[in-house]
Amino acid sequence: MFNKLVVLFVVALVALAVIGTGKEQLVVYTYQSFVSWGPASVLEEVFEAQYDCDLQFVTAGGAKATLSRLLAERDVSATNADLFMAEVNEIPRIVKYDLFLPVTKDDIPNLAFVPEELLFDPNVGFVPYEYGYISLTYDSRVLSEDELPQSLDQLADPRYERMLVCQDPRTSSTGFSFLLWTIAQFGEEKYLDFWRSIDRTLLTITRGWTEAWTMLSHGEAPLIVSFSTDTAYGAMYEDSIDYRAFAPGGQGYRTVFGIGIVKETNQPELAKAFIDLLLSKEIQEQLPRTEIMIPANLQAELPPEYDEYLIIPEDPLMLPLDLVGDRMDTWLHDWERAIVGK
Amino acid sequence: MKKGWFLVFIGLLAFLGLVFYQPLFSVLRRGLTEGGRWSLSPLATILTDSYFVHIIVFSLKQAALSTLLSLGIGLPGAYILTRYSFPGKSAIRSLTVVPFVLPAVVVALGFILFFGESGWLNQWLMSVFHLPSPPLHILYSLTGIVLAHAFYNAPIVMRLVNASWEGIDPEIDEAAASLGARGLRRFVGITIPLLAPALLSSAALVFIFSFLSFPIVLALGGARYTTIEVGIYTLIRTLLDYKLGSALILVETALSLSLTYVYLKTEGGFATLTQGSRRVATYPLFSRKASMCKLVIAAYIIIAAVFFLGPISSILVDSLRVRGQWSVESYRQIFTLGYNPFLGVSPLRTVLNSLFIGGISTAISLPVGMLIAMFAVRSRLPGRRLLEAILMAPLAVSSVAIGFAVLYGLGGAPLHLSGTLIAIALAHAILTYPFVVRVIRPVLEGLDQSLVEAARSLGASPTRAFFEVILPLIGPGILVAAVFGFALSIGEMSATIMLMRPGLGTMPMAVYSLLSARQFGAASAMGMILVLVAGIAFLVIDRLGRRGVGCRTL
Repeated sequence: MFNKLVVLFVVALVALAVIGTGKEQLVVYTYQSFVSWGPASVLEEVFEAQYDCDLQFVTAGGAKATLSRLLAERDVSATNADLFMAEVNEIPRIVKYDLFLPVTKDDIPNLAFVPEELLFDPNVGFVPYEYGYISLTYDSRVLSEDELPQSLDQLADPRYERMLVCQDPRTSSTGFSFLLWTIAQFGEEKYLDFWRSIDRTLLTITRGWTEAWTMLSHGEAPLIVSFSTDTAYGAMYEDSIDYRAFAPGGQGYRTVFGIGIVKETNQPELAKAFIDLLLSKEIQEQLPRTEIMIPANLQAELPPEYDEYLIIPEDPLMLPLDLVGDRMDTWLHDWERAIVGK
Repeated sequence: MKKGWFLVFIGLLAFLGLVFYQPLFSVLRRGLTEGGRWSLSPLATILTDSYFVHIIVFSLKQAALSTLLSLGIGLPGAYILTRYSFPGKSAIRSLTVVPFVLPAVVVALGFILFFGESGWLNQWLMSVFHLPSPPLHILYSLTGIVLAHAFYNAPIVMRLVNASWEGIDPEIDEAAASLGARGLRRFVGITIPLLAPALLSSAALVFIFSFLSFPIVLALGGARYTTIEVGIYTLIRTLLDYKLGSALILVETALSLSLTYVYLKTEGGFATLTQGSRRVATYPLFSRKASMCKLVIAAYIIIAAVFFLGPISSILVDSLRVRGQWSVESYRQIFTLGYNPFLGVSPLRTVLNSLFIGGISTAISLPVGMLIAMFAVRSRLPGRRLLEAILMAPLAVSSVAIGFAVLYGLGGAPLHLSGTLIAIALAHAILTYPFVVRVIRPVLEGLDQSLVEAARSLGASPTRAFFEVILPLIGPGILVAAVFGFALSIGEMSATIMLMRPGLGTMPMAVYSLLSARQFGAASAMGMILVLVAGIAFLVIDRLGRRGVGCRTL
């Protein structure tokens, strides 16, 4: 009675066995916005023409989510990632999980054009390619310049009720940078008091930066945690500077994005060639237009809109990475219990 | 025959064991080990830490509120559908299934456009009452989550209860009336007890769905409103705490398994209802005779129409507006063949991917679901209910957990499915086959067994009887199940997001990516296409449904 159903089963199982094959691949794990906004397609074109291979970008969402995905795959030794792009505050996790091959200046000629202050221990293998500042961005049609908070603690003022959107530090690198900013500013003893004081100011806490930007540009919220390059973005793409970045009290938190070679790679030379291309003047000049970040290569020229609208906080903060590595879990744990499970 | 069913059960178990149980158990095992040894300490952490207790309680609370609101909105609808006749009634009945397959990301978009701080509703209220600021703060809170769940689930309540209500023999009610029982007493004494199984069954179903809902809570809740499902996602995907993540999956699965058991039990009671010889009498809704009752009904219809149509029409209008002008530009973008940097592939490719995944997943879920339905209806094995519950287990396991299990358990050897469309299709098949069972089971139950027996007594082999008698009779039911499974796969995002890579994007993922890339017009346009796919699928189901096969229990 079930003969024919069994045949159906077998057909379904055969379909399962169909798995594609192709030519030599170089797989880059990156964050969503690098693929959707960044120079991924240009990189792919240039790199594939130069080295006969198939360059693939893989993303699981933001930088944090993609790292988790990569580590999950390594855990069952099933990753085919050759390179990984991450935010600087992930370095403690990268070191902890022994993720990257060491990279020196001899490996990557274009590293010569990256300023010393952006470089990290070559043994970590984290090669910076762009940086920027976390700051606040406001809708200038809702808030005027003199209504803006002059420091973070002024955000607790009732006049900002249900206005601010920030990102979840557990899931978003922007959100994590903002959490570090509050710790750098208020100290480990006081930062949770600040977070509790802005409970009514916070409209919501989004999973990633993109959701927060969605809310700003849809008129849902007039104030978000974002990047200091936002005004320049509007000038370049929206023909308007309705959404403006500002650094409350001249403060902001520095963020650096970098790339490294995953230890399991079979093609370290090809991976190094890719990093060198990413640091080349040609690609670096794409970054301020596509990633809306400041290129690491000093030779790269910035678009004219950056001269006019780029905001560089006078007093940028950045906690030492050793401290971040030691305390990260505790901070997130405490934040989670103070804000989510309250 | 007993031996035959035993073999079927073993076969099903072997297949599900490979693609579902083994991967899931390897995930759960992590939740019960500490340093490589069996241990209850991860579980103890979950059950004692205030944060986890908070999210478990919050999950149950929001599911209970969502169930109450869904019943509150769904029951009056079921009443109107049962007792009144009006033009477009059957269309409305078939449309009640549409929200169920709408991708949650589309619903979230619609809710933001309609109920948001600067959404249509607030804008309208501000202009009518000359208010300086938006009066309604609905989203980003418990209210927003519960409303969105009711948007999904109230139509299910409406459909289930209406089907059961129409099945009540009116003669029972008439007999009570002739014995002098008044309206309210007849309602409480007769209608409610007769409807009880359907009420319980739909309440249990809505509770499970709300309890396991992921994209809605993710999109509308924000970090401050976290359910177990979102907690698992956060633990596993970002904190890399598989131990606690898996322990939380264990707690969630235990809770939802027991709920599913309750549901299956009540559904069994539901199926035994006897159909009367006549249908319940209906009254025309639009007649000259006005009454208080009709005023209340009119108010309900207006509120319901705003609630259900508001978010969807917001998406429609948004998809047709470009910089304040009417335009089909967004749709043109969707159908551009070229590489779209926002998606990493061409938009058309995501449509093809969705179709491919939907096809493969239906090809798997249909035979699996059919066999389980036949097993449930025909087998007489001891402990049948329990065995059935085991076979229906994916219904009780969250999509995120299934996505993680497929990634974790099947990504490597021996199947090496990591990063393939097949992996996504397989996850969809696991998620959708219980719904195939739900569609086919009542069809099989309604099958006149004497026809099969007649064929067998005339000398037909069991195989021949199946293909020449059973199959033609249940054929339309199978088609309905296939369309349903396909539509669910097309709209699925939670498991997909766990398995997704660029180039593997599906339509709901495209909506999500376009949203992330600030391409709202294109996101709405892609969302509208998904709405349309869902709508067409269910018109097909409804047409087939009227030709003799009930897909009432959808």
